[in-house]
Amino acid sequence: MKSRIAIPALAAAIVSVTGLMAGPAFAGNATSASSHTVEVAASRSATDVIKTLASEAIVGLTDQSLSNDTRRQNFVALMDRYFAMDVISRFVLGRYWRSISEEELNEFADLLQDYLALNYASQFKDFNGEQFVVGDEKQQNKDTFVNSQFVRPDGPPVSIVWRLREFGDEYKIIDVTVEGLSMGITQRDEFTAVIQKNGGEVSALTENLRAKVGK
Amino acid sequence: MKLRTLLSLCAGASLSMLTACASTQPAQDTSDYDPLEPVNRVVHGVNGAVDFMVLYPAAMWYRDIAPQPVKTAVRSFVRNIGEPVNALNSLLQGDPDQAANSVQRFIMNTTIGFLGFNDVAADFGIAYHSEDFGQTLGHYGIGGGPYIVLPLLGPSNLRDTAGIAVDYVSNPLTWGSRNSETLDTLYLGSLALTALNARYSTLNQLNELQQTSIDYYAALRSLYRQQRNAAIRNGAEPSAPEFEDESASADFDDAFEAAAN
Repeated sequence: MKSRIAIPALAAAIVSVTGLMAGPAFAGNATSASSHTVEVAASRSATDVIKTLASEAIVGLTDQSLSNDTRRQNFVALMDRYFAMDVISRFVLGRYWRSISEEELNEFADLLQDYLALNYASQFKDFNGEQFVVGDEKQQNKDTFVNSQFVRPDGPPVSIVWRLREFGDEYKIIDVTVEGLSMGITQRDEFTAVIQKNGGEVSALTENLRAKVGK
Repeated sequence: MKLRTLLSLCAGASLSMLTACASTQPAQDTSDYDPLEPVNRVVHGVNGAVDFMVLYPAAMWYRDIAPQPVKTAVRSFVRNIGEPVNALNSLLQGDPDQAANSVQRFIMNTTIGFLGFNDVAADFGIAYHSEDFGQTLGHYGIGGGPYIVLPLLGPSNLRDTAGIAVDYVSNPLTWGSRNSETLDTLYLGSLALTALNARYSTLNQLNELQQTSIDYYAALRSLYRQQRNAAIRNGAEPSAPEFEDESASADFDDAFEAAAN
């Protein structure tokens, strides 16, 4: 069962980046009939979540007439809706999330979203007829992995694997892996290196992020 | 050749160290081990400067000047040069079918493909697949060991550095170039084209990573580890669940529980 959704060019890469974030999502208004026989309580399957995300990303990010700011805002909105941002924020801090207060964590989570939007939203601008093909899904322990491919006219397809977990009754994305490279793990390794270099102070990373996003 | 002898010795010495920690599962490193970080960061900086002055401008020039057919031909040529090494390592990993593919590709492309500039084998449905000795060691469970930034070559680790040395001494072309001026020219030319092709093909990603990252060195280190993991498990199925990063799973579980409360 493959569904084809036309997506702009770099969308896949972006989408994968977006995958780093999630927040409170409204799930459930898309009642997609899934052919999966997996016993899931969620109102729609993980595969359907990815398909919906893809179509929303096309609408909200690839329109050439969008201003950069609007595109970034749309990107953040997609992260809020489809990504478990609170889980991701903790994950990318490695063990250091335990050393900061809830307040600092929320502040970090906001900065992280801005940072990712800044880095990736603009990539959707150049979308040009590439296709995003959602493949099968695999259950592994607590998580569901949805395979997909970003098919480019001029090169081999890029494989993207979405890692989702059930929160309440809906699937949220907790990681995106592009050609074997996990965005979450890469970000975690980089962020914890920064924190480590600064004597274990998460605030050093937060300052760096603030400077990057210009806040 | 003194360099060759030296490399063989180095390869032999590090191999004997590495095989001590071999296991039956393909190696999948889950965290960065970088005891040499201060030195590595210096080499990383020097490499960056050299890249900025030589490789990067060359790659930019190549990107803007060379027409796509030329780029495709160069890529095929560079890949073809490596086919004997691919074949040998596929064989060493117990995959004779893949080894036969590489041999077939090498013969077809070197002859009717004119020294490999045309990838005719791909047109016949024999896809390119690369294997190096670092992957062979990883296949037999040898972990990467300490991260090493090599001068000019960039990110590596102890295992893969040993692998590079072994691939160098096992490449027929490097031996042939000792006895034939033509092969020597071919070999040196292939090195230059390999560097150009490699830098060109990573132009966009590295630019982007450099601009977006907070610690470029650490980001590169993580990506190198993950990319080698994928190559060792023969990445057709990236992040196949059975090879999931255990430490990442534990971290996700922690983060998940905390978020749920």
